[in-house]
This record gives sequence, C-alpha cells and structure tokens, in this order.
Amino acid sequence: MKLILSTSNIMGAVSSFRPITNSKSNAEFVNSLRASLEANYSIATSENVNGNGHAARLTYPSWTQMTEAGLEIPALDFSESALQEERDQYDITLKLFYLPGASIEDRGKQTREAVNLVLKELHMPSIDLLIVSFPGVYFDEEEKCPDKISTRGPIEAEPEPIESQIKTWATLETLKDEGIVKRLGIAEFGHDRLANFLDRTRIPPSVDQVNLRDCCSVPRDLLKLAKGRNIELLVHNDCSNILPRGTLRELLGSGPSGAHVLSGSAKTGEKRKSLHGEPVTNGHADKPLDGEVQPLWVVKYTAVVRNRGVVENKGYFAMAEFTNDS
Amino acid sequence: MGLLAVGTPLDWPEAKKVASHVREWGIEQLLAIWRRAKGKERDALLWGDEIEYLVVSFDDEKRNVKLSLRQADILEALANDAELLKQGGGVPDLACGTKKSGRNAPTFHPEFGRFMLEATPGAPWGIGFKDLLDVERDMKWRRQIAKNHVFGHEFPITLTTFPLLGDKKSITPYFPPSGPKLRSQFVPDEIANPHIRFPTLAANIRARRGRKVELNVPVFHDDKTVWPFKDPTVDYDLHNWPEDDDVRKGAVKDNCIYMDAMAFGMGSCCLQITFQAKNIEEGRKMYDQLSPLGPILLALTAATPIYKGFLADTDVRWNQISGAVDDRTPEELGEAPLKNDRWRIPKSRYASNSTYISQDPRLRPEYLDPDLVVDEQLKERLIEGGMDDRLATHFAHLFIRDPIVVFAEDLKELDLDKTDHFENIQSTNWQHMRFKPPPPGNDIGWRVEIRPMEIQITDFENAAFSVFVVLITRAILSFDLNFYLPIPRTTENMETAHKRDAVINEKFYFRKNVLPKRTPRINGTASNPASGTNTPLPSRPSTPVGPVEDEYDLMTIDEIINGRPDGTFPGLVPLVESYLDGMNVDVETRCELARYLALIKGRASGRLWTAAKWIRHFVRGHDDYRMDSVVPDGIVYDLVKAVERITVHEGRDGYANEMLGSRCSLAE
Repeated sequence: MKLILSTSNIMGAVSSFRPITNSKSNAEFVNSLRASLEANYSIATSENVNGNGHAARLTYPSWTQMTEAGLEIPALDFSESALQEERDQYDITLKLFYLPGASIEDRGKQTREAVNLVLKELHMPSIDLLIVSFPGVYFDEEEKCPDKISTRGPIEAEPEPIESQIKTWATLETLKDEGIVKRLGIAEFGHDRLANFLDRTRIPPSVDQVNLRDCCSVPRDLLKLAKGRNIELLVHNDCSNILPRGTLRELLGSGPSGAHVLSGSAKTGEKRKSLHGEPVTNGHADKPLDGEVQPLWVVKYTAVVRNRGVVENKGYFAMAEFTNDS
Repeated sequence: MGLLAVGTPLDWPEAKKVASHVREWGIEQLLAIWRRAKGKERDALLWGDEIEYLVVSFDDEKRNVKLSLRQADILEALANDAELLKQGGGVPDLACGTKKSGRNAPTFHPEFGRFMLEATPGAPWGIGFKDLLDVERDMKWRRQIAKNHVFGHEFPITLTTFPLLGDKKSITPYFPPSGPKLRSQFVPDEIANPHIRFPTLAANIRARRGRKVELNVPVFHDDKTVWPFKDPTVDYDLHNWPEDDDVRKGAVKDNCIYMDAMAFGMGSCCLQITFQAKNIEEGRKMYDQLSPLGPILLALTAATPIYKGFLADTDVRWNQISGAVDDRTPEELGEAPLKNDRWRIPKSRYASNSTYISQDPRLRPEYLDPDLVVDEQLKERLIEGGMDDRLATHFAHLFIRDPIVVFAEDLKELDLDKTDHFENIQSTNWQHMRFKPPPPGNDIGWRVEIRPMEIQITDFENAAFSVFVVLITRAILSFDLNFYLPIPRTTENMETAHKRDAVINEKFYFRKNVLPKRTPRINGTASNPASGTNTPLPSRPSTPVGPVEDEYDLMTIDEIINGRPDGTFPGLVPLVESYLDGMNVDVETRCELARYLALIKGRASGRLWTAAKWIRHFVRGHDDYRMDSVVPDGIVYDLVKAVERITVHEGRDGYANEMLGSRCSLAE
C-alpha cells in the first residue's frame, strides 16, 4: 500500500523558515510535514487550551483517507488549493527528490505521480520547470566551504551509475514532449557528471541547481560548461538528503510526537513487532498500522507570481511504500 | 514633483485665507482619483529609488571644501546633453527629455537646496533578479553622469548633510546670510533653489509659525568640550529682521547646536524607495507593514554626526528636517491656549506617520494613534463620496494642514482631472511612509513610498539598502508577515533611532511573533471527531485576544535583523533568505544579493560601522581635532576628500572596510 503525505501550502506557516543556525536545510520539509500532521490529529480541549494536560489525538482513520492510489495522510482536498490567477502569470517549479532504496525501474511512474499530484493541487495544466535530484549526488565545490559540508547532513547513499540517471531522464523527456513540463533540470551535478550527461541525452537539461551556501565560489570549469551549453546555474538551499532514514517512522509512529498512523516509534528501531497484536486490514481500523515503510520520493512545488515576485503557493508531497508485517 | 507650474504665489497670510478652499478642492480631486482608480488591479511590482547628491567644490591648494551652489548650471548642462537625451535621460523639469525605448538613461531633478541634485533611474525597476543587479550599476552611471557635468574640482557626494553648512563662509559662489525669505543668520536666501516655490515655502512656513524654525541638536560632549556648551556661532546683536529677536527670546538651547532655517533640514539627502502595489488593498497593506520598519531602517543607515562644524550627539538627520519645516503655531504646539487655531497638533508635517490604513483583520484598534487629529468635516465628505472610514481618516488627518504654497491662478476653476490641490497637501505631509494614489492620465498604480533611510556614501550601500527593502516587501507578501505595532511605539522608536550608535546600543519596540498563525488546512474528514462536555476544538489558533502589550518586546537591531539565537524571533534577513530559497535565482545574482545582505547583517550586529560612526571616528582620530566637539575646516576638507575616495573605490583599496566590509565578489 502507498502512503501519500502532503503539507499543503506552507507559505506563512511557521515551519517554513530556515533556522538561523543554518544547521538543517531539510528542516523545512520535515517541519512542515510535522505541522501538517499535528494540525490534523490534534484536538484542543479546554484543559490544554489552559495549558494543562496533553493534546488529545484523533485516531488516524478520521483524518486520513484511503483511496485507490493509497492512504492519504492527511486526506487530500483540492477544493481550495487552486492558484488565483491565470496560468501565464506564474512560474511553477517542481523539484523531485528520488530517494535512496526506492526502485530505479519505477521512476517513470513515480515522476508522473508526483507531477500529477501537484497539477491537481494547483489546478494547473502544466509546469515551467521540473528539477530532479538523484540520491547520493553531491556537487562538490573545489574551494573549502566547511559551512556547506556541515549542513549537508549524513550521506546515506552512494551516487548511482550515470546509466540509470540517463534512463530516468528519458521519462522526463516524454513529459516535456507532452507539453506538461516546459523545462527540465538536474541538481548538484558537477562538471564531469554534467558533461557526460549532456553528451548522452536527447533533451539536455536547461538548469543545474547547486547549493552554494555562504561560499560564493563556483568551479570555473562548471561555470564555463554551463555558459557554453546555455545551462542556467541556479542556487538552492535544500538538503539532498531530504528525508533522513527513520524520519518518516518517527513522524507517523506512535511515539510522543508521532501521528500514530504506524505502530512503534523511531526509537524502537526500524524493525518492530506489533504492539497491539491485532491484525490490521486496509488501514480502516483505529489501531496504528504494523509494518515497514520505504520512502520513495519527495516533491517540492513553488508557484511564484511572475511580475510581482510573490510566492503564492509552496508545499511538498511525499510517497512511501507500506508493507504489512506478516 | 513637477516644478514647472509657474504663477503668482500667495504670501502669508494671503495663502492662509484660501486654505480651506484648497483643502476642499483637494478632497474633491482625491475623490475623483478614488472613483477612477479604486478598482485598479493586477499591477506589476515596479519600483524606483531616489538618490540625492550634494555637490562640493574642493580647493586643494587652500585645503578647503565648499558647497557648490551651481545646481541650476549643472541641471542646465544635463538638460542639454544630446547623448543623454537620446537615451531618454536628462532633466524632465526642464522639458527637454524625450522617452525612448530600451534601458533609459537616468533623469535628474532639482531639489530644495541649490547645492543638491536628485537622480532617479530612467525607467522603473521590476522584480526580475537581473533587474536587482542593475540597480547598483545604474546608481554608478548616475553619479558618473553627474560627475561629467560638474567642474573638475567639483564632486557629487552622497553625505546626508554638508558638515559646514551654516558656517557663513563655506559656499561658492559666496552670498551673505540674512536675506528676506529665510531671514537666517547663518545661510543666505541663495542657499535654496531659486524656483519661486522654494523660497515661498520657506518664507510661509516661517510666517505661519510667527518666528523662524528652531533646530537645537544636542552637541557631542567630548573630553574638552566647554560645558555647558553655548553655541559660539550665534549672533545676538543682529537687527535686520523682526525674527532676529528669536535668539534673544531664548531660541538657542544650552548644550545644543542652533540652526534657524529650512535649508538645515530640507538640505539633507535621503534614500527613498517607491513601490507599485498590485492593487489598492496590497498598497494599504504594504503601507502598514513597512511602517514599523521605518525607525529600524533609519538607525541602520545613520550617517549624520556633524552639524554646522560641530560633532552632534545624534546620528541621524530626521528630527532636523522635522524641525526645519515645522509650521505649527504656538497654539498648535500647545505653548499658548487655543484661540485662533483649530487644534493642538502633536507632530510636525515632517514626522513619523500616524495612521494605519489597511483593512487587514489583524489590525487591532489598539494599534492606532490615540492622539490622531482629524478634520471631521473633510472626513465626512470623503465617506459621503464612497471612501471607507479607515482611508478617509488617513487623508482627513493629512488634510489638517494648511497649504503653504498656493498659486493665485490655480484657484479660479476646479479641474477634477488634475490633482494639484490634492498634491499640494499630500506632498507637504512628509511622513516616513507615503501612500500615493495613481496619477491621472497613465497606467501607474497605487504606490507606497518608504522615506526614512539616510543616503549612504557609496552606490554599493545605497543599492544594498534599496534591494533589501524590495526583498523585505516580497517576503512580507509571500509569507503574509505581520509587523503591526502600536503607532506610538513606532513614534518612540523614531526618537530612539536618533541616539548616538543607536544601531548597536539601543533597543526598539518590535512585534515578537511576525509569522502568521496559520496551520495547514484541516480536512473535512477530520470534523466532528468526538462529543461530550469537553467540546473539542481543532487546534487552529484563533484571532489574537491577549493584551497588545504582550505582542511586542524591546529588541536590539541585531535581533530584529539577524534573529534571536534562541529561535524566538526569526530576523528580517533570515526571512529574506527564506524567501530567496523559494525562488529560482542564478548563482551570480544570489552571490551579489549575499553581499548586500552581508552588509545589512554586519551593520545590525555592529561588525560593520554606520557612516555616522565612521565619520565620528575619523574626526576624533584626526590630528587637528582638539576633543572639544569642534570640527574645523581642515578636518572637513580631509573628511570630504576621504568620502570622495570611498565613493570611488568602495573599499576595494582596503580603505573604510570597517564600514563596508572586505569587498570581493564572484566577478572579481
């Protein structure tokens, strides 16, 4: 069974600000997802309004929704999420993070799932730019930038061979052919990987998105290559490791800060046994689900009103595979 | 401001007699604008900056520097520059420039002081990030053009004030003080732009007051300053004009530098930014949200530590301009019982603003100024004409003032397609924010002007502050930030910003929670989760109901700009960075923006000095300084030379890095 997680529009939500310590650049996604879950499962009682006692929790079936596509956490509602203006008023950018451990073969399908969810959310027929981030790929500055290394987060995946990235790219090219995406981009490619990639793709990327942090130094060969091949070098501040291992288990688990969709919590480890000993069917019982979670992808979407520079909608979707313990 | 309107200006008290007439017609013109433009929608962000220059004249042999009063000649030369005109630049007020497509050359405008120039970009800026990088280049271009049209020994500097203004000698060509219009014992009438509007403005302000304007700036008490300090430059034996009695009636305060003319204030250079809003609602929101930032921006840009050759104990120009155009009568000031005047007025026409105008539900009535003076009759007329109460209150507040310059010819017929009477009052209300309705006859939308910043010495700094303010507005709109603070706290903050080194030593009232209390939507499926006596509510925060005093706190500018380390306040620069994180910005632009933000961060933390601190340090470290608060000609010559050097090199030669930081960038 698939788990479909969503933050809805996070603009203006407290969680969307990066902490001033600059310590965790993946915090925006994790924090806004946590806030989204809390807003759905918490109920305020007169006691906790007064500051005594803990917030009561709604059981997950009351705020999630089971559909053919999977379990929506929280239940999706596209009725009020449409952008306000016409399509050509916006710059819509998607950044899709393929996660380590997910099937590379399924990326074509994953990409379509992600893009379709965003199009539905924004009520738009197409997007301007789709950037993909492959697991384990880090753009390495030649210059010393300890600040950057320290904020990168733990490296949990080795870069995959370029062959599989090129294969994935072919599915993206189809989206462009279909007119659903106007421009394609990749993230964190250094000079060599980019040069290699360019030689072997039908539609070359228009954008390479790199993380500079406070060290404004881009390797000269990369600058030159990008300029020569008309590739825009854009800056991002995302952590490539956007969903560290165990995070989803903690957010959805039954620990003190979890949403109680899954049993157990991150602290009890990745493998766990049923705490309740009751079988779970289709997620419609009130008890948390027992089983394994494998995150597949995360997509970030941003809609900017072009001639005013105002971000009107920004949010995340994530998809995970849930397997029942048997 | 169009200056070409020529006619017969009314002297005081003739102008006073037609004041109600002008106000009533101004209100009718405002209602005509309102009806025409209230539904204007979907305007792009367009914005512009204004840079004001002082033109100085060096005499390297005698080692002295004077203010050049050649504004008219310089503007004439600019207006006749064929190359500039071809590119759409020039001097629109001299009616020679014609607009051409493409990147327009900058335009130059006269200002109050005859030693001042104002320059604006030839066309407004947008929000394309490339545009943001063009700002600094354009500012450098403007200065270069100005430089090309002055004499070789002259230079257009961007100091807020000329340190020797009012010393009775440092102007060229020389004119003696004590003319009929200003009646100043320190500066001649020729210090002001000769266009009839300006001397009339100065004379009528003086006449309305019943005495000269009165500026007393606290002097900096240095180790050897004679104490109590009695301004040694004051002449108590002058008998040319009735107003010469002012100093014999106690106009001069102890321990203060005394000044007596509009030129001491309106001769200051500022950095002002104007934005076009999407529609009137967004404009009203921007006006409110930027208002509490005014004093913070003032303290961050502090650049005015010297007046009339003395070190002052304040760092900014604001109150001096306020005093220099303060036309309030003794009755209005509360010094005499109300007899002829209608009300007591707490603030000068030039002051921090006193209204909020948005219909934002977050605006609590407690934030409004309890001392607001409003012309109830004019307000009623506005409401009758369809304007909502809040906006009507704002304009009826601006319209408590008398028009100062009235041309007899304009009173013959009311033309509702013009805005002259409205602008007469609107543009002589110099508050720190200004809400500007669309002008007739073109497609310009509702605009907001932010006016508190002091001009900075270099184009780099001026670009940095301009771009920072633009980015803040985008962050406010994107994140729906809430900076609301009771207006009296902003008024107090404005005073605090004057203190020496306020940027690092003082605390300012600021809203604690600027982030909207919004959480992701709650789905329909989650409703009605339980029943019972403990009626459960969704955990969505409700409208604020706590005491207003709990909403704000005293914060340092470092905390306001850079955030609190414990995470309880995010900081304006991190908010801007968060905004930028959501945008597609190329590496070159982002690195340039990082340089700008680094300057703002450094100023706020104290790591980088304000110009006020740098200049003060320069003077006190000079061999000729005697620790007595006096800044003699020789030091001013060296100082202005140093300012010229900083303007040209912007710290790349290693000079003034305390103020600018070490300057290197991706491009270098």
